[in-house]
Amino acid sequence: MTDTSAALPLLTPKRAELLRDYVPFIAIALVILLFWAISGDRFMSMRNWTFIAQQTPVLMLLAFAQLMIVTTGSIDISIGSSLAFSSFLGALGMLWFGDAGLIVGIFAGGLVGMTNGLIISLLKIPSFVTTLAVLIIVRAVVIIVSDGTAIYITDDSVSGGTNISSVAAPWLLSMGKFPAIFILAAIVALFMWAFYEKTVFGQQLRAVGGNEKVLRLVGINVTTFKIKVFAAAGLMVGLAACVNLARAGAATPQAGLMIELDAIAAVALGGTPLTGGYGSVVKTIIGALTLTIVRNGLTIAGVPPSWSQVALGVLLIAAIAISLNRSKVDVVK
Amino acid sequence: MNNHDASPLLLVEHVSKSFGGVQALRDGSFDLNRGEVLAIVGGNGAGKSTLIKVVAGAHVPDGGRIVIKGREVLRSEHSVSHMQARGIEVVYQDLALVPNMTAPYNLFLGRIPKKWGIFVDERAMREKTRDVLAKLNVTTVQDLSQPISSMSGGQQQSIAIGRAIAWGSDIVILDEPTAALGPNETAEVERLVEDVRDQHGTSFILISHNLDQVRRLADRILVTHHGVTSREFKRDEITSDRLVKAITLGE
Ligand SMILES: Nc1ncnc2c1ncn2[C@@H]1O[C@H](COP(=O)(O)OP(=O)(O)OP(=O)(O)O)[C@@H](O)[C@H]1O
Ligand SMILES: [Mg+2]
Repeated sequence: MTDTSAALPLLTPKRAELLRDYVPFIAIALVILLFWAISGDRFMSMRNWTFIAQQTPVLMLLAFAQLMIVTTGSIDISIGSSLAFSSFLGALGMLWFGDAGLIVGIFAGGLVGMTNGLIISLLKIPSFVTTLAVLIIVRAVVIIVSDGTAIYITDDSVSGGTNISSVAAPWLLSMGKFPAIFILAAIVALFMWAFYEKTVFGQQLRAVGGNEKVLRLVGINVTTFKIKVFAAAGLMVGLAACVNLARAGAATPQAGLMIELDAIAAVALGGTPLTGGYGSVVKTIIGALTLTIVRNGLTIAGVPPSWSQVALGVLLIAAIAISLNRSKVDVVK
Repeated sequence: MNNHDASPLLLVEHVSKSFGGVQALRDGSFDLNRGEVLAIVGGNGAGKSTLIKVVAGAHVPDGGRIVIKGREVLRSEHSVSHMQARGIEVVYQDLALVPNMTAPYNLFLGRIPKKWGIFVDERAMREKTRDVLAKLNVTTVQDLSQPISSMSGGQQQSIAIGRAIAWGSDIVILDEPTAALGPNETAEVERLVEDVRDQHGTSFILISHNLDQVRRLADRILVTHHGVTSREFKRDEITSDRLVKAITLGE
């Protein structure tokens, strides 16, 4: 643990602190400039940015869900499975109850989240283990219930005796495209910001991440609070699932495979320590956007997918290594 | 002020508490009057923290009784919020504050004022915080938007004590308030206790291993030994020798 500020006289501790605060913004600016330099107009085109604006919302909503949980010091790796489950139930809901049945998808996400919260709080099993088990179970349930087939959202009803399940919902498909998906994402982001930064609930997320024993001693019921947090995050995953259904035009059993890792990466790129206690909605949005841009930029630059995964991993470590204030971290687990 | 000379502000009689097989507290008995500082001393594991946690409502005792201002606390109502409502606040050893939160948030811990039902009323919090800090003559805490982990130990302890007295409580319990502080900060906290006692008539229960501090602040000293509150000394009958003997031997 050497003090790097000694080697760099320009970087006083105060300036380093400020710089750390802006790492997510600097990172995204550098990433944009880099890909602009490499691919020119193919990257910096209206068409490509429209694509990015369509790709980011699902990841952003999942990152919001993860942000709530990470702020309390827990983690949720079941959100990819929950996304598939919720999309599937949303589509089923529409089959059963018509357009309004989509809301079943949101509640399905809330149910998975609440289940996580109940197991963690009442059985006192760490969130990583609990949500790992739920990740496996829920994905299996989706495969069993769907029998491996997808439910499609179509522009008009498929006529004639096919055994493909489909729902005619052109409105939902147009929700999945720019500008509707972008506007929806902006509205959700605004609500999330107010919720996370300004409400008593949002402040309590940070306090639980800071020291939950203190809260218990002053008589706050941390157990029920955590169940509510996982349920709220679950509802957000359910909403992301509905957006994903609109975007993909189908509920498939493979939906959201490994996307929990992207959500965690977006939160970390947004400068949120995974140990809890701190976080920012704006920076989490930047984190989700950065991740989407890097993936998009590497594809346009012709980098093969496996190599682009390597690049993303390196970016993640670099961003956290720079933004982490090591003097405030006593234990690395 | 003492219209109820017969019944003290707080009366604790034969309170006991065990955890599984460990009898942390066998017999805790003491009383406390208005404006008094009662010190509790004893070796490590003697049961001091357990005793005050029972009084604070955090643990329900196995036996014994607690009477506040002449009215007994029923078993069914024994809780932190009940004790707070009856005027008892605690500054816990190491566990008084949430380090990543601001001074106002910590002052309002468990009582965050709301706007429109769900939002934090930040202005009310900041105003009240300035009020409390001014009342305590704490002038060193200026920036209320910083997490308290960036403040000195003395400032943090001031906020913890401010939190305990801000809500008009009659009894403030301090569990080793200066154990982690340097000499200047210790003096700062001791001054605070005396000021608050003199100006507001607040009573204090002070757990401390610092016998000089105990002799400086306390009106009476209660010695705890192996889970029993075995002896009590008045301020003027204490010598360090007698105290050390009582703490180590229970005599
Ligand atoms: N929650 C608990 N569960 C189990 N045992 C406990 C618990 N709290 C306290 N004890 C035990 O009860 C005994 C008394 O502990 P207590 O914390 O009251 O002592 P203390 O006098 O405050 O000591 P110290 O001076 O070290 O703070 C100890 O043996 C301790 O290990
Ligand atoms: Mg103790």
